[in-house]
Amino acid sequence: MTSTRHILDSEVFHALVRNRVVVILVSTLVIGATLVPGFLEFRTASLGLDRMATLGLVAIGLTVVLIAGQLDLSGGAILALSGIATIGLQSQLGQIPAAIVGLAVGVAAGAVNGFLVVVLRINSLVATLASLLFFRALCHLITESRPISGIDPLFGLIVSRPIGGTFTGRTVLFFAMIVLLHLWLTRAVAGRQLFAVGSNPASAEASGIRSRAYLFGAFVFSGTMAGVAGVIQSLSVNTGSPVFGERIVLVAIAAVVIGGTRLEGGRGSALGTLGGLLTIAALTTAMEYQSVPAYLQDIVTGVILLLLILLDRTVSSSQRRDVTLAALWRRAWASRQLKENERTNAP
Amino acid sequence: MSAPTSQPRVMQQSVFARQGTRLALPISIVLILLVGALLSDKFLTLQNLTNVLINMSIVGIIVVGMTFVFVTRGLADLSVPATVAVGGLLVLGLQSSLGTLGAAVVGVLAAAIAGAVNGWLVGYAGLNPVITTLASGTIVLGIAQVFVGGVIVYGDDPQAQDFLTGRVFGVVPVIVLIFIAVVAMGHLLLSRTVLGRWSYAVGSNPFATQASAVPVRRVRAIAFLLTGTLAGFSGVLLGVTLQTARPGIGMGYEFDAITAVVVGGVSLLGGSGTVLRAIGGLLFVQLLTNIMVLQGVPTEPQGIVKGVLIAGAVAIDVALRRRGGRE
Repeated sequence: MTSTRHILDSEVFHALVRNRVVVILVSTLVIGATLVPGFLEFRTASLGLDRMATLGLVAIGLTVVLIAGQLDLSGGAILALSGIATIGLQSQLGQIPAAIVGLAVGVAAGAVNGFLVVVLRINSLVATLASLLFFRALCHLITESRPISGIDPLFGLIVSRPIGGTFTGRTVLFFAMIVLLHLWLTRAVAGRQLFAVGSNPASAEASGIRSRAYLFGAFVFSGTMAGVAGVIQSLSVNTGSPVFGERIVLVAIAAVVIGGTRLEGGRGSALGTLGGLLTIAALTTAMEYQSVPAYLQDIVTGVILLLLILLDRTVSSSQRRDVTLAALWRRAWASRQLKENERTNAP
Repeated sequence: MSAPTSQPRVMQQSVFARQGTRLALPISIVLILLVGALLSDKFLTLQNLTNVLINMSIVGIIVVGMTFVFVTRGLADLSVPATVAVGGLLVLGLQSSLGTLGAAVVGVLAAAIAGAVNGWLVGYAGLNPVITTLASGTIVLGIAQVFVGGVIVYGDDPQAQDFLTGRVFGVVPVIVLIFIAVVAMGHLLLSRTVLGRWSYAVGSNPFATQASAVPVRRVRAIAFLLTGTLAGFSGVLLGVTLQTARPGIGMGYEFDAITAVVVGGVSLLGGSGTVLRAIGGLLFVQLLTNIMVLQGVPTEPQGIVKGVLIAGAVAIDVALRRRGGRE
């Protein structure tokens, strides 16, 4: 028992846990590379990333909502709804205006969520559950539960064709959004204030931050990202369907949480979400190449998710330390200096 | 949100707010019955109302467990679809080797184990219930599918099916009697026992309750154990009545149960609400659905009404509480 406690308290263990996204991503890649031939080829990576892009856009929106201490279950339904608008309005409005309307649907749907949570003060879990049912039903009502197809299948190539033979348009968009989100969360005042709102809305309010505006904005952003994902997905397959994105939010939440963002709010990062998404993409690709049945894949993802949040809990309930890689390096450096000083002073 | 005041909040509540929150649900149920009777002459027939009750029974059993989760401030149990599927898949998969009754016991026990794991993770390890039950649900459903090979399972015991759908005295189906028995037991457990008192205490103020030497972690764990067990039981009933089960059999039951509990006025913040109110919420939703079906509204678009209903019910509840707290 004392030895376990010792291991749990050791600095190396803390460092491993704190940087677990990197650890688990590298180990997934190593396992994938040893089991699957051609796993590290560029083409495999490009394909895997392309498939992850839609999920990634939803996860970017969720990262912001989760940091603000809220939850958004409605992303998948918003995705389907804006996809239907994008495809269904093509014949009346033309392709690009229809895509813009699809985007606007995402923004509006996010605003509905924001209204429910911020103005009516409904708990976000229940509020987005209600809007999830509402939007999904709207999709079925508009399309009469049938998938609809667009006017020109070649138009979707904008998002699904590799740019310069490397990554597809949507992959590039996803990476650009991750970088922007990272810069916003770490460099902008508004980004820092979002963390304050997520940790404690009341005290953030007391410090002069307009908490409610941030919460509302978080939901609009999440809805918009789901809208972007919906436009891209429906364009790439030239179809709008009421059943698109049925499981996407659960996977996106898993990716964001694997990336170290906490559901309680106030902690998280864009790069962590990127790590979580890459992990899930690598896992899925590796297991599909090995023809592992879908339900076994679910078990693996679930176990990893559960172990990570359990680890997170174990560590954060013991004492808090700064164990980022930079801090570890500084500390090691400082202790060496100290020892040298002792040596010179001692005699 | 509001600053702490010296007077107890109950004293400040206006009569309207207090009576409004308590009477809103029964009045709504009466109103919906009236509306239904006006819209369709088939609505108030014995046959139709019995059908409503049968439809309620499967979800209703889950609602009882979910009420405990809500009352103890456990947020929600999202692993319900998985535990329902475990019950349904196991009872039909093991039917040939163990007999229906033995298979049913195994199915409920397996779901209970899943519930106990949830309870341990949420109660003792202190994890966030939403993400925990999401993850455990994925795992449990995966394991259940490994067991049956990821395909649809068919049953071969029409007698058990006949028993559950058969009627006592030619009127009340057996499955409805089972449902009523579970509700009665759940209601007594929450309102008349020490565990029930503890559940309310844990939900209203976990820290003060901890300080009063109440086993907070155990109480919260029991709520999840109960939900898992009851969801498994309802999965068993579902499997036996349909004589077929696929892994996705429980999909949507978690949202239906949450809807019922929320419409029943049980707060997500814990510490209030009763089993009977949650069942009242379920009755209201089911009657509404029934009216829409009788009016020829297709299944999927009914979600529009349900979504508005959930948001509306909670918004009114929140508004009444705030109004009551201020005046």
